[in-house]
Amino acid sequence: MGRMKFLCDIERCIDCSGCVVACKEGNHIPVGVNRRRVITIGQGKPGEKSISVSCMHCADAPCIAVCPVDCIYQRDDGIVLHDKEACIGCGYCFMACPFGAPQFPSGQVFGARGAMDKCTFCAGGPEETFSAKEVRLYGQNRIAEGKVPLCAGMCATKSLLAGDADEVADVYRERVFKRGSGANAWGWNKAYKKE
Amino acid sequence: MKKIILPGCILFLAMSGLALARVSGLFPTAIGPEPLTATYQQINAVFTGDWQQYGQLFTNLQQFLFPRLFLLVITIVPVIFFLHYIAIGPMVFDHGGKQVYCYNLFVRVVHWCAALSFSLLVLTGLLILFASLFAGGAIGIMARSVHLFSALTFTGSAFLLLLVWIKDMLPALYDIKWMIIMGGYLTKEKKPVPAGKFNAGQKMWFWLATLGGAVMAVTGYFLYSFSGNIDTLRLSAIIHSFLGAAMLAMFLIHVYMSMAAIKGALGSMISGYKAESELKILHPEFKY
Repeated sequence: MGRMKFLCDIERCIDCSGCVVACKEGNHIPVGVNRRRVITIGQGKPGEKSISVSCMHCADAPCIAVCPVDCIYQRDDGIVLHDKEACIGCGYCFMACPFGAPQFPSGQVFGARGAMDKCTFCAGGPEETFSAKEVRLYGQNRIAEGKVPLCAGMCATKSLLAGDADEVADVYRERVFKRGSGANAWGWNKAYKKE
Repeated sequence: MKKIILPGCILFLAMSGLALARVSGLFPTAIGPEPLTATYQQINAVFTGDWQQYGQLFTNLQQFLFPRLFLLVITIVPVIFFLHYIAIGPMVFDHGGKQVYCYNLFVRVVHWCAALSFSLLVLTGLLILFASLFAGGAIGIMARSVHLFSALTFTGSAFLLLLVWIKDMLPALYDIKWMIIMGGYLTKEKKPVPAGKFNAGQKMWFWLATLGGAVMAVTGYFLYSFSGNIDTLRLSAIIHSFLGAAMLAMFLIHVYMSMAAIKGALGSMISGYKAESELKILHPEFKY
């Protein structure tokens, strides 16, 4: 089985935040929780770059290592999922995660945090696939439908790629080659090549 | 020869000028697909921050150390006490004779508030750490709520005990002697041990519970409310766990001493009276 991965092409990302909106809207994410966010560096300066980030679905994920309830698990295809009904909202996964992926809805009794919410790669959760409960707790299960996650599916510039790691890498490699740099850059031949 | 020197000088000046301009930031950084490494370094500074500093430390400690540390404390300490109880046995005193009023009603009530809330803190804390044994969910969420309210109760009662007992709990020179002979708990003979109203062990427990309790309250506040940045939270979790293990060990010692190792110690915290014969041995420096 392949290994599922996200890849954000920072040469293409234009900080439109469409991925954030698509994920939030399509999966009915609670207020205050973002499964995906866009980081922009050098804003307004030459060389400004943006990248869309979420759960990286790590191999040997730190969140799985620290969870005291063992409610986070990894599927064979590398997608890291969690059981919201077992989660006690202790927040250890948030502290262990290098990427700030686990998020917690606020506003429970005594100011407590609710169950952790994070990117599911649009693969639902441990509940029965396509059940109403799965949709309510985790959002859509587009992987089971054979589709890419919402964020990647709607990305207008196709900078956000998702899917089998080998295929994503192939697409990106081809892009880098075509885009190139130096003698391989777009327009180089027109400008410099003598007929 | 001249043909080389002049262009060489010009080239040198031009190069150094360019280098200066580059260092001083006069040139805009290149646009386009070139500086990917530098870009990713900038992105990582925002994206992951300095995870290697405290994030990795917290992850490793929580994965490998904390559950084992607490498991060790709640197994090894009772085993040591069990062996002590069999080998040396409890201290038994004649509780007849002259009685001395040691703890007034206010102190006793506050003490039992602290005792109850601390017991709940221990139970719910262990419940959170080993929540996987109970499948988590509602039990863990309830444990976190109880932990919060017990912490509030304990903070209040520990503060009152600090005010009431601080004078008697100040360290004294004879505490060192008490520590060296381990309070006389390793022998069966009843010789007076050097101690005032409270012995060195009680003082250690007192300062750990009050000052350590204050640190636990602050770190616990961060952990519960998630205020402060991510590194504050990671450090809080590390401190909270280490200090929690130390307090748990001292708590178990306190429970064993009062419930089993010294017969009648529990009664003195209920009635407020201690027998003079007991005080002469265990607290000879106590001027009542």
